[in-house]
Amino acid sequence: MERALTTAWFDEESRLTPEELQTVTFPMSRLGRRGYEEEPVQGFLRAVHAEFVRLVNERTSLWQDVQRLRRRIIAGEAGGDPDGVLFGKEDAHIHAVRILSTAQVTADRYVADAQAYSSRVTEEARLRRDDIMREAQQHSDMLLEDAHTRAREAAVSALNVAPPPQTDRERQAAQAELAYLRTYSDVYRAHLRAYTEGVLRGIEEWERKEAASLQDRPQGHTDRRSIGH
Amino acid sequence: MPRSLNWWRRRRKARLLDVVRLRESFAHVATHGDELPLFFYSDLFIKHPEVRELFPVSMAAQRGHLVDALVKIVSQVDSVNDLTAFLQGLGRDHRKFGAVAEHYDAVGASLLATLEHFSGSAWTPELAADWKAAYELVGSVMTAAARADEELRPAWWRGTVVAYERRAFDVSVLFVRPEPRMDYLPGQSVAIESPSRPKLWRYYSMANAPRRDGLLEFHIRLIDGGAVSMALTSAAIADTELRLGPPVGALTLSDPVSGRDLLLIAGSTGLAPLKAILDQVAALEQPPRVHLFFGARTADGLYDLDSLEKMAAQYQWLTITPAVSAGSRFVGETGSLPDVVARHGDWSTRDAYLAGPTEMVQEAVARLASAGMAQDQIHIEDFGWSEP
Repeated sequence: MERALTTAWFDEESRLTPEELQTVTFPMSRLGRRGYEEEPVQGFLRAVHAEFVRLVNERTSLWQDVQRLRRRIIAGEAGGDPDGVLFGKEDAHIHAVRILSTAQVTADRYVADAQAYSSRVTEEARLRRDDIMREAQQHSDMLLEDAHTRAREAAVSALNVAPPPQTDRERQAAQAELAYLRTYSDVYRAHLRAYTEGVLRGIEEWERKEAASLQDRPQGHTDRRSIGH
Repeated sequence: MPRSLNWWRRRRKARLLDVVRLRESFAHVATHGDELPLFFYSDLFIKHPEVRELFPVSMAAQRGHLVDALVKIVSQVDSVNDLTAFLQGLGRDHRKFGAVAEHYDAVGASLLATLEHFSGSAWTPELAADWKAAYELVGSVMTAAARADEELRPAWWRGTVVAYERRAFDVSVLFVRPEPRMDYLPGQSVAIESPSRPKLWRYYSMANAPRRDGLLEFHIRLIDGGAVSMALTSAAIADTELRLGPPVGALTLSDPVSGRDLLLIAGSTGLAPLKAILDQVAALEQPPRVHLFFGARTADGLYDLDSLEKMAAQYQWLTITPAVSAGSRFVGETGSLPDVVARHGDWSTRDAYLAGPTEMVQEAVARLASAGMAQDQIHIEDFGWSEP
């Protein structure tokens, strides 16, 4: 069957039919195990359960309509108001309850959608933040590693090359190398600082925007443990 | 005068209240699923529109809570003591939502209308009388507990956010001044409602023992899409006024203290109640030895390590071991918190207090128990009646 194994069964609009009960198929489980895959079967059972609940509700509602109409007809025959046969005060209340229930379910769905959206946005922000942090970390590791390698090279060459009696020329060369290394380290430090400050500015900017947008925008959500009356 | 428990017992004994019949009736209407609470709230709001404002915009979670409570009441209807404790808690808990005695009659009428509606031909005068009697008892226990609670404390406290600190990307620390002053035991929690998310309450633990200036410290972790945590971790929360429910929870030191040394295991913002307990221990004349394990996913998540290390330097009875998840960059312990704790030796002679993500806590509790720690030495938060 084509509709198998999707969440379509849980939608309000798509109903399970007796035909589908006769034609439903399930994938076999992986090699080495006998029988069906468990999850699709469980999903199907959930769908059957939901359908049953719906049928029971419809049946009750119809039964009540029949009872009410029967009472009214009997009352009508006994000389009551014939216009009251079809519409009574009780009907109006049940009707109102149904309308309010539908409205509430619609409102709940809007809130749930908004919440799912907000959850997605936060999650994306979190993942993006993790990426930025990882990238920054890698960048800083690279800079450190590079600086470290160069410093070690410099130290090794200083140990190997410099013999105790240094000529002026050699001393000059050593000082030149030292100056070069200092400059190098300064340059690296400046790079690192600029990069870090850039990242921090980005984060502050984001925080500021977030604070501003949260102030303008009230939202709704469901609570985890406020127990009904 | 509400009917007493003795009345209930007498009536049960005299078989005037048919428990089997109540259960069968409930099992029958319960097959209607979400339609049942949906009908109930719609009926209630149509008859008493003023009650609607006590509830949040979305009622989806609320309907689940109602059914859960009904299931619990019906299943425990013949073990009166358990049920009474549950209902008393429920009654006290509902004060902060603004529930008053008149609401109970309205709720009872709508509950009966709902049961009648879904019972169909099974609804008889006898069944109606049983349900009415059962609800009257439930309502009287709840309202009596709420009334007794009124003598002791307010329904809720005003709490001004006097300081806000963002400690990590997703963790903020709030300092709140409650009015009036709030008395509580270190390790307890309160439900918090933020002004931008009306009628949504979430539980947070105080991270300090009661102080002379009355300030409460809260550690808030941002949950993706979590409406209340998003509001509370945002910088916009500074200077706003929150509502705080009464302190609840039993994650507290035994009184008098057991004399055993302590093992504290905190995952992420589960640190808060354990830090309050540390505060309390520090004030004892002869503090026991305390070993605190503080774990997070990354080093960034060890948001309160500075202040903990300061405490450890100050008190020689205190040892702190921070740890982060395996694969994270950290100079120190890495791995799952229960693993790290187990690596540090035998804890079976200590009292353990645990708080944090449910899975971590369950895993750690199982490990401690299998390593020989007795059940009564292991303390975790148990909200009991208000468990979601």
